[in-house]
Amino acid sequence: MSQYSASPRITALRDAIVEGRHKKLRTGQVPDVVGVAEQEGRDWPQRASLLTRLMCEAEQPLILAGERLVFTRTIPAVPPYYPPAEWREKFAGQAMHESGPISNICADWGLVLGEGLRQRQTVIRQRYAREGGEELKVLCDTVSEAIDAVLGLAERYRQEALRLGESEIADTLAVVPAGPAENFRQALQSLKFVHSALWLSGHYHVGLGRFDQYMWKYAEADVLAGRLTWDDVADLVAEFFLSLNKDSDLYPGIQQGDNGQSLMLGGVDRQGKTSVNRLTHIVLEVTRTNRLIDPKVNLRVTPDTPLDLLHKAVELTKIGLGFPQYSNDQVVIPGLVRLGYSLEDARDYSVAACWEFLIPGLGMDVVNIGAVSFPYAVDSAIRTALSEGGDFSRVLALCREDIFRQVDRLVEDRQKIILPPAPLYSALMTGQLEERGDLGAGAKYNNLGIHGSGSANASDALAAVNKLVFNTREISPERLLGALDNDFTEDQVLLTRLRQDTPKTGNNDPATDDLLRELFAYFSEACERFQPVNSRWNRVRPGTGSAMYYVWLAQGHPGMLEPVVGATADGRRRGDFFSSSLAPSQGVKVSGPFGILQSFAKLDYRRVCNGGPITLELSDSVFRSSESIGKVAELVRLFAGLGCQQLQLNTLDIDKLRDAKVHPERYRNLVVRVWGWSGYFCELSEEYQDHIIRRHMLGVG
Amino acid sequence: MTVFEYNQTDLSFPRDGRGLVFDIKEFALFDGPGLRCTVFMKGCPLGCSWCHNPEGQAFRPEVMRTAAGERTVGVFYRPEELADKLLGYQEVLKLAAGGVTFSGGEPLWQGDFVAEVMRRLTGRLHLLLQTSGYAPSALFRQVSDLSDLVYFDLKLVDPVLHRRYTGQDNALILENLRRLDRSGRPYRLRVPLIPGLTDSRENYQNLRDLLAGELNQTDGLQGLDFLPYNPATGGKYPALGRVFQPGYDETRPLDLAVDFFREVVKEVKVL
Repeated sequence: MSQYSASPRITALRDAIVEGRHKKLRTGQVPDVVGVAEQEGRDWPQRASLLTRLMCEAEQPLILAGERLVFTRTIPAVPPYYPPAEWREKFAGQAMHESGPISNICADWGLVLGEGLRQRQTVIRQRYAREGGEELKVLCDTVSEAIDAVLGLAERYRQEALRLGESEIADTLAVVPAGPAENFRQALQSLKFVHSALWLSGHYHVGLGRFDQYMWKYAEADVLAGRLTWDDVADLVAEFFLSLNKDSDLYPGIQQGDNGQSLMLGGVDRQGKTSVNRLTHIVLEVTRTNRLIDPKVNLRVTPDTPLDLLHKAVELTKIGLGFPQYSNDQVVIPGLVRLGYSLEDARDYSVAACWEFLIPGLGMDVVNIGAVSFPYAVDSAIRTALSEGGDFSRVLALCREDIFRQVDRLVEDRQKIILPPAPLYSALMTGQLEERGDLGAGAKYNNLGIHGSGSANASDALAAVNKLVFNTREISPERLLGALDNDFTEDQVLLTRLRQDTPKTGNNDPATDDLLRELFAYFSEACERFQPVNSRWNRVRPGTGSAMYYVWLAQGHPGMLEPVVGATADGRRRGDFFSSSLAPSQGVKVSGPFGILQSFAKLDYRRVCNGGPITLELSDSVFRSSESIGKVAELVRLFAGLGCQQLQLNTLDIDKLRDAKVHPERYRNLVVRVWGWSGYFCELSEEYQDHIIRRHMLGVG
Repeated sequence: MTVFEYNQTDLSFPRDGRGLVFDIKEFALFDGPGLRCTVFMKGCPLGCSWCHNPEGQAFRPEVMRTAAGERTVGVFYRPEELADKLLGYQEVLKLAAGGVTFSGGEPLWQGDFVAEVMRRLTGRLHLLLQTSGYAPSALFRQVSDLSDLVYFDLKLVDPVLHRRYTGQDNALILENLRRLDRSGRPYRLRVPLIPGLTDSRENYQNLRDLLAGELNQTDGLQGLDFLPYNPATGGKYPALGRVFQPGYDETRPLDLAVDFFREVVKEVKVL
């Protein structure tokens, strides 16, 4: 296959989706699930399957012009299945994660496509017949109801296809999702249908996992048998990816675009053999041509990843969608093993919505229970130590104590998280129906993840205090504390010194990098102490990401447990955002991409393995020629060679963003990376827009 | 032996063996193989009207003033200081099969300093000299001998035009180029494409004659790189209180003639 280019069919489908014509057809009635549930006296698990059933029944089959893969939402919202007060009551004395339903994980899509839903139903029925018991009866009944509902909807879609004379669509739906997919098109249709059914069932951040792995055997077989060409494969992939953008405005998230439709490419198989294939390349090419925010693409790399693959990945980075995001297998796999994942499972890792490592089909980890605020820990330590007349080692000791306290507080609260029953999702997880129970009660891996946020600001603040207060003694403790209290309003001189004349993370400067490493060591230590007591959760995974906490920890947010901090000793004023994930503090001068990678390469990632990328913003001028794109590919290899864990390369044209703020109507399709996800710039709130414009930028040339 | 004209006017600034650097750029994209760090030496004996690094011309620290504030451009380094700083990148540059590039300004303007730094790095980092070739021949040879690779920037072959647009005669440049070629040291010839000037038929013909005639005497010449005109060339002049007066039409489309050179050089690239 030569370089992929979209067929007229795909171009027309894309135009229709971008215009949003199908949104006018969302005329389906939101079903009254609570009403029916009350009437039938249903309990929690049965309500979950009822939701799937009533949503599937209420959906109206809709086949859009030119489609080969079908399913389009016609019901604009997913209703609750308990009245709000009763819903909250279900979690009384426990804790609810976000809005409740299971989210931010990934099914075993290989299993779903390989067996089909009918077989999943058979598995649980046979087990119940074999083992009996009330719990299995409930599981059996609810899984059966949910699967029957999805298959009922598929059958109605088949009838609609027949009515429209779309025999190929009808033939496809006659096989999947009920039975095992027999070819590539059926596999994609099955994936499309079941993935959509999870959203219909109230789940969100529904991951797509290792797409190039579980789809490969179907693509390869069809091409070898002459049923499809590689161009046909790409065409179908393009349609599937476009379809992920159809209903995403209905999906919940912090901001539009934060919907977790992430997939992972490349890496090794469960035996450790390199598993990059032609589909890996096709996905990168198709995503580049589609130019839409879904799916969000991740790529697993090592220091030896072939440059031709990286070149293709950088070509995708070039268009500014903010992906692919890269993960380094040589660092991630040992990190997961250290956390108790088996080597084979660790090799099979993907990511949750943003960057948190997750084993598809086996991970029921809640990877984002909250954040540790490093800036708060540092600030409170500085205040206490300086008031007491303590030295720098006292600052560090207090810092450690506060990080422990923050972790304890989060874990104490969040280990009470319970998850609602999830019959449909249970059927899609590896060995879940065979060996375990409802997914709500846990899967093979049940760990909690905590973000480590504002790390660069925190280490810079420590380094500044160490230099100016303790080493050179140029700044008195009173002056610093006074300035922090006043948000530097009366000490501009000190503000400038803190900003310009102190060590900054991102310059390969041990004066601050060593402190960054120390902060993460405290964080790891705090998490490693966790011993589950009467908890269904096992380990606590510390991470390097920030998600929305770079905003929330600076400005506060209703309901959050994390502490908010004012002005900080790195020269950051009250309310200013922290740096996102692993990036230099905003506005500081750094030596360049090497300095940033060298600084962050110093972390002990074996002990910090919840994900959270080093973020490099590159000017779009970097991508001017094939030669310079090759250099960016080498930069990705360097990231892996230095032993860093995860990398996000963003492309920004600042002038365009500024103009887009003034003339949003001209930039409806302008996509930017926000944190672990990409969204349309004009759909973001102003504070996020401004942050992106101010973000650190490396104009290289 | 012919004596070539060399005008070195302003080395009076007290240096004490130190070198004046106006930037050290990580991840320089067009300055050599692999991933590189480029050291920009301050001071240049040429005055090319298309110079996009005007802060590299004067051999003295200067203040650049923009809306974002003021910044002094030009930091003095002792040779061992600069060498240590560059060795801090050794792991990165080795992993990425790259190295250090000395550029400018004109690095040979401070050739003795550059040689001192290079001696400290030899065998530890891949070294590349990017030069206009306008330097006393002994110095040119001394520094190019320390370099693993030389990027030789040749602008105009015609001496009259060269003097008009760069302020200096090019006889010394051409002589250094011939010597470099004969030495067998690996080098690439680089030609900045300035609309209507260096992309003229006449300059291309002269260049081709040179490649087909006096050059290519050894295996040293690795290729010919054309560097398309940078439309942001004049961008930094106001910050130095200067007015950019190119003396040519910046908007004129470039005439690319890659095929014209295919037969006379191993590799031709447009960067």
